[in-house]
Amino acid sequence: MLIFRKPIEGIERPQMPADVVIVGGGPAGMACALRLSQLIDQHNSAHPDSQLSKENIYVLEKAREIGQHCLSGALLDPRAMRELLPGFENEAPLDAEVTKEAVYFLTEKSKFKLPTPPFLRDHGNYVISLNRFVKWLGGKVEETGITIFTGFAGSELLFDGDRVTGVRTDDKGVDKEGHQKSNFEPGYDLRAKVVILAEGPRGSLTKQLVSKFDLAKNVNPQTYGVGVKELWEVPAERIAAGEVIYTMGWPLTTHEYGGAWIYGSKDNIVSLGFVTGLDYADPRLDPQRVLQEFKRHPFVAKLLDGGKMIRYGAKSMPYGGWWAVPPVAGNGWMILGDSAGFVNSARLKGIHLAIKSGMLAAETAFEALKKDDSSAAVLGEYQKKVESSWIKDELWKVRNMHQGFEHGLYAGIFHTALQFVTGGRGVRNRYPGKAGYEHMRKLADLPVDGGAEANLIGPAKGDGKLTFDKLTDLYHSGTKHEEDQPSHLVIHDTNICNTRCVKEFGSPCQNFCPANVYEMVDDASQPNGKRISLNPSNCVHCKTCDIADPYQIITWVPPEGGGGPNYDGM
Amino acid sequence: MSDSILVVVEQREGKLNRVSWETIAAGQAIAAATGWDLEAAVVGASSAGIAAEVAAKKVAKVYAVDSPKLEPYTPDAFAAALKQFLTSNQPKLVLMPHTYQVRDFVPKLATAMGRTVISDCIGFKYESGKLVFTRQMFQGKLAADVSFTSDAPWFATFQNGAFRGDKAEAGASAALVETVNVEIADNVIRNKPQEVFKEAKQAVDLTQAEVIVAVGRGIKEQKNIEIAQQLADALGADLAASRPICDSGWLPMDRQIGSSGQTVAPKLYLALGISGAIQHIVGMKGSRAIIAVNKDSEAPIFEIADYAIVGNLFDIVPPLIEEVKKAKAGS
Repeated sequence: MLIFRKPIEGIERPQMPADVVIVGGGPAGMACALRLSQLIDQHNSAHPDSQLSKENIYVLEKAREIGQHCLSGALLDPRAMRELLPGFENEAPLDAEVTKEAVYFLTEKSKFKLPTPPFLRDHGNYVISLNRFVKWLGGKVEETGITIFTGFAGSELLFDGDRVTGVRTDDKGVDKEGHQKSNFEPGYDLRAKVVILAEGPRGSLTKQLVSKFDLAKNVNPQTYGVGVKELWEVPAERIAAGEVIYTMGWPLTTHEYGGAWIYGSKDNIVSLGFVTGLDYADPRLDPQRVLQEFKRHPFVAKLLDGGKMIRYGAKSMPYGGWWAVPPVAGNGWMILGDSAGFVNSARLKGIHLAIKSGMLAAETAFEALKKDDSSAAVLGEYQKKVESSWIKDELWKVRNMHQGFEHGLYAGIFHTALQFVTGGRGVRNRYPGKAGYEHMRKLADLPVDGGAEANLIGPAKGDGKLTFDKLTDLYHSGTKHEEDQPSHLVIHDTNICNTRCVKEFGSPCQNFCPANVYEMVDDASQPNGKRISLNPSNCVHCKTCDIADPYQIITWVPPEGGGGPNYDGM
Repeated sequence: MSDSILVVVEQREGKLNRVSWETIAAGQAIAAATGWDLEAAVVGASSAGIAAEVAAKKVAKVYAVDSPKLEPYTPDAFAAALKQFLTSNQPKLVLMPHTYQVRDFVPKLATAMGRTVISDCIGFKYESGKLVFTRQMFQGKLAADVSFTSDAPWFATFQNGAFRGDKAEAGASAALVETVNVEIADNVIRNKPQEVFKEAKQAVDLTQAEVIVAVGRGIKEQKNIEIAQQLADALGADLAASRPICDSGWLPMDRQIGSSGQTVAPKLYLALGISGAIQHIVGMKGSRAIIAVNKDSEAPIFEIADYAIVGNLFDIVPPLIEEVKKAKAGS
């Protein structure tokens, strides 16, 4: 019997007043905290008689340590950081400045160099490990006196009518059956004037907020990809530090959206990964398998030959673009970064937008604290700031980019080219979009052997050197959770899994999850002889299941704080 | 009457809980800071012996709050006895160690008296006439200062280790011990204590095992565990499992080998129906000899096995049990 995590009801919880609570200590949340501290410092030195305190500003971070759940390619466009901390290049952990870039179209055995489109010219950007970068940024935040609660997740939003009044943190010490253990500690109710959601892609509180206030009603559905990444140590001189390679094409066919990155970092470290659009048709497709197939391409295999895979991880990214961004401010709340969908899907970059959005939200939160008013009227300024900032400039130009690819690669290339010469417009100002899971097709409508996608379906076997099966990869994510806790993958109706999905889609959760969380086990008592079983402690917090499940019955909620992957160096 | 602090020491079945010295030390420190008197009390049937022990410390007086109804311990009787005593004694502050027994009865006592408890404190401050207690929040990441706004008596409990028990000062001479008999009516005690037991948690320490028989998914059903158990019995081995088996509740979690379980290095490790995912391998690869039985000849377990048996474990294990028995009988 599966028991799912939910806040324990009918208990008294410790209450704590707060000025600002930032949920999520990634680049957006940390930049927000840091900017807020700067503004308060400036204010306090100019107004000795009306001091503002930083004591009641908190950052909640579900990872045990700062940065441990941060995963990205990553390339950093320094624009926002230069505004936040001028001269940051002198002290931030930047692994290499981009000196060389190339874009290839791959077929199974060959590669064709494409002219580098303007949006993929990366000179002046930096190859970073987002994990190390956020650790550094978090250290800066801690120096300001703002408290970062690592190991605490935001598990629920607190409301009072149409106002967000705070955040409830996760209950600790709850066993598999949902009973309190001897170390039970109820989650705190942080009663905050301003709640800032910086949870990353598909944030669980953001999802709660969007659904409660129907915030997505006037925007395109958000679309996502899942990036599956491996960090490799390769023999010297395979790739220069600061060399950036993008590929399109193989192993994907023209039907799927996606592509790979290969970044040369310092000390012969290579970051490589494959982003698979979560709007593919074949439910048997497995994004972790896609990365393994990609590595078997002669071009990639040669690069990695004799090297060693040292870390693995996965994370979803939103690339629905400007038209998929919901309202980002309201009564008591603001939404930042990936949670809002601030990703430039043409440039495959969002860290700089996350940082910028954090800074803008900090300015608004600062005004709210000064006025002691965090109503929609005051926080709505953040919405306006975003719309008049370079966040919108950048996203506006590519507003229709991803929608153009909904009908495959060739249509996508056509639309991209057209949009490029029309300032992002293409054939109309707003291309509509469809949620990715709606593209998934039933097994009955697909070739039994997978057809052109045959090499993308089913689990990767792995040779143990170049390619790996999912469990081996997963081991390298370092993910760890308290085992004795309810499942934080909440399936609203497991009957659908056991009776319908297994027949109609062949249980795609087993395939799209890059961490082997979902498993159909034999059970003669079920109509189709299979029953859903979960391994929640394998989870790497990528949120793919919440996004890609064709019935939309999976909700990802944070597990007990402190659990999750260990993305050292990712 | 001047303000006083009362430390309620903890006894169970006539034995003083050593953590009580920490609370005495806390009481002495608060008394020094505030200038309030310090007294102590022990609650229980015939606790005069313990009272005398406490009287050796630097306290003004020790009360032995006594009633035959206080043995055995029940939260009802303890709360009733202390309520009676505190109502007449009227201390300003009541201190106790934050033990399981105190946690059991102090909420009841405070509620009965219409007061609050500041529990699990790690320290105190006395600043400009205000007594403030420090409690940890967010798993120790934040320290909250908490004070009382209600009328006395104030209840506070101290975390184990917050004060040093060996720093409890001895008195110049033994303090006066006063026995206070309390009346507890029959109908007050609703609890019926059962025999005291310790949770039977025979934590299995597989790291000490010389021979381990481990089962994996290949065992198919819970009832088949019996076969592996028989083999383990025959070999004098401990039974262990890979994660799916423990996840399904077929064996307790403390028998799990691997990255989320125990790491073992026995002389002999018999892996039955275990495919050998890296998460399992890291927990047993140090074994001196590994015998693996698996249907799938490509199972990764065979890469580290010293002896590989490709086949159905249900065909292989029963005769193996017979052979082991025969060999043992012969030796």
